[in-house]
Amino acid sequence: MNVATDNLRDPSTLFFQYDKIRRSIIASYWLIIFLALPLWWNTTSIERLPLPSPNVYAQQERELRFPIKIALDPAFGNIAPSVESELRNVVWQTRQGPALDISVGVGNEADSSDDTYVVLPGETDIVLDGRRMKIPKDHIEPSKLAQILSSLIFPYSPKQEHRVAQYSPRFRLAFTLLNEDASAGQTVVGWDILGAIDRHISPITSAVSILHNFTIESQVQFHAPLAFEPTALEDGTFGLTPEDLTIFVNSAEWTLSSSSSNDPVLHFVLFVPSISRRPLSILNNDGTPSTSNAFLIPQWGGIVLCNLPSASDEKWLSNMDLASPFSAFSHQLSTLLGIPKLPPGIKTSPQNSLLTSWQIDALLRHRMHETVRRTKDTLLSTVNLVQQIPNMPVDEKAQNDVQGALVALDAVWDSEGGKKFNLTDMLGNSARALTFSQRAFFHPGMLALLYFPAEHKYAVYTPLFASAVIPLVAAAIRELLAWRRQRRDANRRDG
Amino acid sequence: MHWRPLCLLVLGLFPSFAQTTSPHEQFDEELVVKSFQDGRVASTFTFKTLLTDASPRDPRTLALEDDEPQHYTLFPLTLGQLLRQYAITELHLTLNAGKWKYDSWGYPEAAGVGTGAELYAWLADGAPSSIDERWQGLRNALAGLFCASLGSLDEQRTTSPHLSFPPEGLLPDWDGLQHEIRHASHASEHVCTENLTPFLKLLPCKSLSGLASLLNPHRMFDADWHGIGLHVLWRPEGVEVRLNFQMVSDPLRPSGKKQDWSFRSLYDRSVDRACPVAKTSRTIVTLPDAVYSITPEPSAIESGKALYDLKNKSPNESFDMKLEWGSDFVYPQASLTSPLVPFTVQRKLHGPTQDRGQLALVLKNHEPHAIRVSYLETMPWLLQFYLHTIRIEVDGTRRDDLISNISYVLPVPHSRPATFHCILTLPGHSTVTYTIDVTKAFLMYTEHPPDAQRGWDLPPAVFVLLASSSEEGYTRSMGGVQEGSRVYTPSLLVDLATPDFSMPYNVIIFTCSVVAFIFGSIFNLLTRKFVVVRLDG
Repeated sequence: MNVATDNLRDPSTLFFQYDKIRRSIIASYWLIIFLALPLWWNTTSIERLPLPSPNVYAQQERELRFPIKIALDPAFGNIAPSVESELRNVVWQTRQGPALDISVGVGNEADSSDDTYVVLPGETDIVLDGRRMKIPKDHIEPSKLAQILSSLIFPYSPKQEHRVAQYSPRFRLAFTLLNEDASAGQTVVGWDILGAIDRHISPITSAVSILHNFTIESQVQFHAPLAFEPTALEDGTFGLTPEDLTIFVNSAEWTLSSSSSNDPVLHFVLFVPSISRRPLSILNNDGTPSTSNAFLIPQWGGIVLCNLPSASDEKWLSNMDLASPFSAFSHQLSTLLGIPKLPPGIKTSPQNSLLTSWQIDALLRHRMHETVRRTKDTLLSTVNLVQQIPNMPVDEKAQNDVQGALVALDAVWDSEGGKKFNLTDMLGNSARALTFSQRAFFHPGMLALLYFPAEHKYAVYTPLFASAVIPLVAAAIRELLAWRRQRRDANRRDG
Repeated sequence: MHWRPLCLLVLGLFPSFAQTTSPHEQFDEELVVKSFQDGRVASTFTFKTLLTDASPRDPRTLALEDDEPQHYTLFPLTLGQLLRQYAITELHLTLNAGKWKYDSWGYPEAAGVGTGAELYAWLADGAPSSIDERWQGLRNALAGLFCASLGSLDEQRTTSPHLSFPPEGLLPDWDGLQHEIRHASHASEHVCTENLTPFLKLLPCKSLSGLASLLNPHRMFDADWHGIGLHVLWRPEGVEVRLNFQMVSDPLRPSGKKQDWSFRSLYDRSVDRACPVAKTSRTIVTLPDAVYSITPEPSAIESGKALYDLKNKSPNESFDMKLEWGSDFVYPQASLTSPLVPFTVQRKLHGPTQDRGQLALVLKNHEPHAIRVSYLETMPWLLQFYLHTIRIEVDGTRRDDLISNISYVLPVPHSRPATFHCILTLPGHSTVTYTIDVTKAFLMYTEHPPDAQRGWDLPPAVFVLLASSSEEGYTRSMGGVQEGSRVYTPSLLVDLATPDFSMPYNVIIFTCSVVAFIFGSIFNLLTRKFVVVRLDG
């Protein structure tokens, strides 16, 4: 027995039982795991390309400034400095909208550049012609002149701004003739929409064609019930209280919306009340009928009530019938587009188009200020959102869109600082920046893995990883302990 | 100084000239009510809007900026926008529920009665975007417009069967641009109130006046068979939009004995107000052969049909009509009645296994002479045909000569359906059996729909009766059934091999256990430390 035992070799002398070999086997397992980790990480992580966040934050600091050069005729030379200080004062007080760098100089029209506003002495009235203003020279005070200039250069008030539709390169104008109940009698069967648009709407759309393109559509509906009962008044007429106006549009029953594109729609509704509810008027807050029969829904469109005199059974609205509703529509359209009105007492020269350069410039500055602000906001939201949601993928398209928006914004800044100051080009760039930034924000690829639950990953990984990694960890710890014990023993032996 | 009064005169005349409805658009509505042999009553509502002098959009103009204004009075604007955006020449959409029984009901007023959703469109090439891109856009836009799952009519269901679905109107000639058809059907799509509501909004009078006020969803969707259809086509007069609603109701269900009906009993409504803009508004009732009484008195009776004109209705009276029979209803003996259709079709899928089967058709020709029918299958790749196994038998003898003009577009698994088209000749007074072996596809795990155990609905086959030279008196004998009217078979349900959907997790757990076991053993073997234990020191 003993002989047999003595003949056994000590297992630790077998080559595969060397401590070194065993340890290198365990180590190689761990090495493979560590080498595979990057691969695993790469194949399972979400593609998140870096967004140029520092640039986006830097953009927030910048603000659009518009240089405004005003040249006063030498005739006004003596009041130029006081006009400048008054004007700065007025603009600073309002603190609305874009920042303006105002410089008032004295000079002849001839030696001023194209984009300079020129004030010339004139006759009895204040007349605008291009970028020139003729103003009667007698008894003009610096404060009065400053007031006039500021109301022309920045004519917006905060109240107005809520009504103006957000900027879009293309609008759809949807005109709808609504019969509340055609079968009750006195049906309006059609309208001279082409003539009315030609007369009242086209002048506006062509005047602002450098800002927007328009698609026009119209329809007639014969049954458009209201969602509420109008108030019956004592004199047998009917009225809409201010509360009624807020729920006037019955979107469930009226098919007004256009489905075929993403362009914003401005609705213009000509509402013909049912014969049993005529005349229908708008009531003031105190319950008395208002003189106006039109109202505006901010950023949505306008509504005009059309109370026809009792006439034949079927009526076709001619150009004459449409004159008053469409002048209301054209007024509503210019409000919705943010076209500034001329202050009272200022006339335009007859050879001018509908809008003077003063108005167009103010509108351009306002729209540009708006688009640049919206672009900055959208970019900031995109960057913040991506930072907040770590599971959100960011692919190349989204990254390119953000970068495109930044490039377009930079182009805006460049043209602002550069010699060539062209408002229309700048608006084009800022509109492009806005389109890019919104496309990045609404990029569908960013939603892809947003809701992929982490539990699923664990459910897939744990059965394999737990059962494979536990022996590995256990072996590593055991080996580590054994190695330490060995060293301690060796130390003791040495010592 | 002469022109001034003249001008005033013209201005004064102009409104009165235009007093009538807009000269460019015309709206007509019609209701056809017909009683069937089995006591059921079919009502077909047709609403037709004609946009005169209009023509479909040339697809080449899609490349240009779209600034052209669109002005409509009666024509639905939402539909006009859609047709314009995708430059569609002709469009047909039907959504039906139920099985149309050709044997006892004959041919329907509107041909599209296939179960589920069917959409086909003719459109020309030449646009910057391809036909298939526009077809996809059209599908999605219509899906949004009608709240129906038409988006699922994707390339896995789209075919181009130009022979069975010829254009109903004209195709404009744009310097020889080729027109193509895209067709897709989805048998498991059901029609319901959410589809009817947008449908009614396309009508100028909605459901508030005129014949459309009879469209009461509670009764419509309670009917034995019901369906809505939208058809857009181009005719020399202009672009026509036809909306129709068909329903087959059973007046015997509540009473049990008499097949009397009235608007109240069928629709639970009556026409209170006429649609003010309809040019014509007619109701046509097919009168029975038996003793009957009809109230109110029709304005005209022509060849067994009573006509009513709702435009003549006085404004305050509501229009309700009633048809009463003299005697109780007796169910007709099948053997005694003459068939209403020249041929009948049965289509079945045989075979108990989940990988193979046999598609069988039984066609009965009721005519004394031979007829030719075109047969179309637009089969999703779920079922694949073996063309060499086609067998045609007439009363037990094999007759392979009866099939001709076979055209077959192969299916592409996971992407394209098969299109099988052929012409079958049915000898007079005979029963033809057609069989073909099929194999059923094995789907990927993610391709199964929810409730996969229910099976897959296969679209109906379409038969078209073709003109044949031999029969002169044919159309006369068939009571005005024209050649070219389509016959849809009922849809089929195919049972495919369905996995146990908890399987992936079971597989993951099982494989992981095995891998972990093998890994553990080998790892243990490699790193085990052997020591000699001496039992007796």
